Amino acid sequence: MADEPSGTFQVPLWRAIAVFRFASMAYVVAMSAVNLTDYAHPLGAIPALALLVGWSVAAAYLYARPAWRGWPLLGADLAVTLVLLLASPWVVGRTAIDNGVPSLAVAWQAGPVLAWAVSGGRRRGAVAAVVVGLADVSVRAKLTHASATGLMLMLLAGVAVGHVARLGVESEQRLQRAVELEAATRERERLARGIHDSVLQVLALVQRRAAHLDGEAAELARLAGEQEAALRALVAGRPPRSWQPPRQEARRRARPRQRAGPEVDLRAILDGYASPAVSIAAPATPVRLPADVAHEVGAAVGAALDNVARHAGPEARAWVLLEEEDGTVTVAVRDDGPGIPAGRLAEAAREGRLGVAQSIRGRIADLGGAVEIISAPGEGTEVELRLRVSR
Amino acid sequence: MVVDDHPMWRQGVARDLAEAGYDLVATTGEGGQAVRIAPAARPDVVVLDLQLPDISGVEVIRGLLAALPGVRVLMLSASGEEQSVLDAVKAGATGYLLKSASTEEFLEAVRRTAAGDAVFTPGLAGLVLGEYRRLAKGGGPAEDGGAPRLTERETEVLRLVAKGLSYKQIAARLTLSHRTVQNHVQNTLGKLQLHNRVELTRYAIEQGLDGP
Repeated sequence: MADEPSGTFQVPLWRAIAVFRFASMAYVVAMSAVNLTDYAHPLGAIPALALLVGWSVAAAYLYARPAWRGWPLLGADLAVTLVLLLASPWVVGRTAIDNGVPSLAVAWQAGPVLAWAVSGGRRRGAVAAVVVGLADVSVRAKLTHASATGLMLMLLAGVAVGHVARLGVESEQRLQRAVELEAATRERERLARGIHDSVLQVLALVQRRAAHLDGEAAELARLAGEQEAALRALVAGRPPRSWQPPRQEARRRARPRQRAGPEVDLRAILDGYASPAVSIAAPATPVRLPADVAHEVGAAVGAALDNVARHAGPEARAWVLLEEEDGTVTVAVRDDGPGIPAGRLAEAAREGRLGVAQSIRGRIADLGGAVEIISAPGEGTEVELRLRVSR
Repeated sequence: MVVDDHPMWRQGVARDLAEAGYDLVATTGEGGQAVRIAPAARPDVVVLDLQLPDISGVEVIRGLLAALPGVRVLMLSASGEEQSVLDAVKAGATGYLLKSASTEEFLEAVRRTAAGDAVFTPGLAGLVLGEYRRLAKGGGPAEDGGAPRLTERETEVLRLVAKGLSYKQIAARLTLSHRTVQNHVQNTLGKLQLHNRVELTRYAIEQGLDGP
């Protein structure tokens, strides 16, 4: 396969094949020595065995180099095996083979099959096993029970080893992806930590030290404060690091959720509104809502905060409180502005100005929730959005 | 005592405290050192940055309280690290302030911490509310009857703190005395800290850490 990773997993497999080759080579040489007297052309066994030994050494050497494990080597490997097999009837003699004398490549012939399987998976292993098996059968006069079993075993070995090799490659790729992902996460956390330890601290310091100065310095302090809040929200846009839930919590968290579909943490959306003038209070645990619901709620809160900025004056501050209890999510937006005189909202609606009513009440009503607006002159305004979350 | 790994911050905070007439007994940038020198320095109030290079804020607080029972810890943090703030409060810190708070707010917080009052930001109130609800939901009567609960009044007060009302405004709105509001807030922290200690002890027993 072209996109194989470094292939460290395969190294032991190649080594095992090399060991098998040498062991089976020794077996073939021993069998030849024992049966030499029965051979039709004993002298012909000398070049054949030389080829066997020579190729075993060469294959061990060449297969050890990943760059060499290509088609030329695999083809040559198979060709050498076929030559030895096909030379067997002449060297050993047909009658001897039929009498049970092993061929010149007995057992050794599985080496290339394994090599093909490791290099290319099940299919290649099967092809090589069939080619070698057919050659093996062709040198015999009749298909004996033993040779059929040998063929099946070789096929099995080719498929099984090919499968294992493929699994190894895949798990190695998966491992590599996981390692890369982890490195990226780590890098992100390192950056977040760096920003936290340096930039945020300095911004907060500038804001703090310049806040009680006049003119440009106060403006700088305000800008620094805004940037600090924005950057903080950006950095915090992930689950808190360096925290492991105690065991009980872990079990509780592991409970599967009934609801399907993507859910997002409403806290992350609301955190986007944080600024020196807007405080966000929320639980430490995620408040999960379906993505579209969460974004609608976020938009409604945004509309309420816009309203604060527009009507309560530039000095006004606002507080957002997010709560979740018994399947009800409550978001309260309070400001310390002058408040809305009684009847002002109804009046605005009659006049056809639907700002607050439309964008807040409308959005939340569409989600099946309720909105309550409490205000009195001099007491600020509080908008409370309440939403049942079916779980 | 001021514990903060950022030298500029340490100096700034130290100067503010000195100008306000506080006696600064020690400053350090490391949590481990803070715990080591606390018995000798004997501070009344420790101003503690939650993010220290060596050990976590929770560990520092535990160490400080073990070395000097009754010492008051005011946490400062530059960012909304919700979980670590909550853990620090449960470990025994009684005050929390964002680093972006003004000098006046900071000095007021130190004064109140020294007086033994709980210093809450709206953000912390939201965290504490959430924590009680999590405990109420997850604890269940079968598992332990000891999951702390807020009274209705305490919930009400905490919600108003989270919505940015001052104690004075809360007192006026609920027709309570300033002191009562303060006590309610204090109680919410006290119950959480007690529960945390009980949990830690139970965990220790489960793990066999209580044996010889």
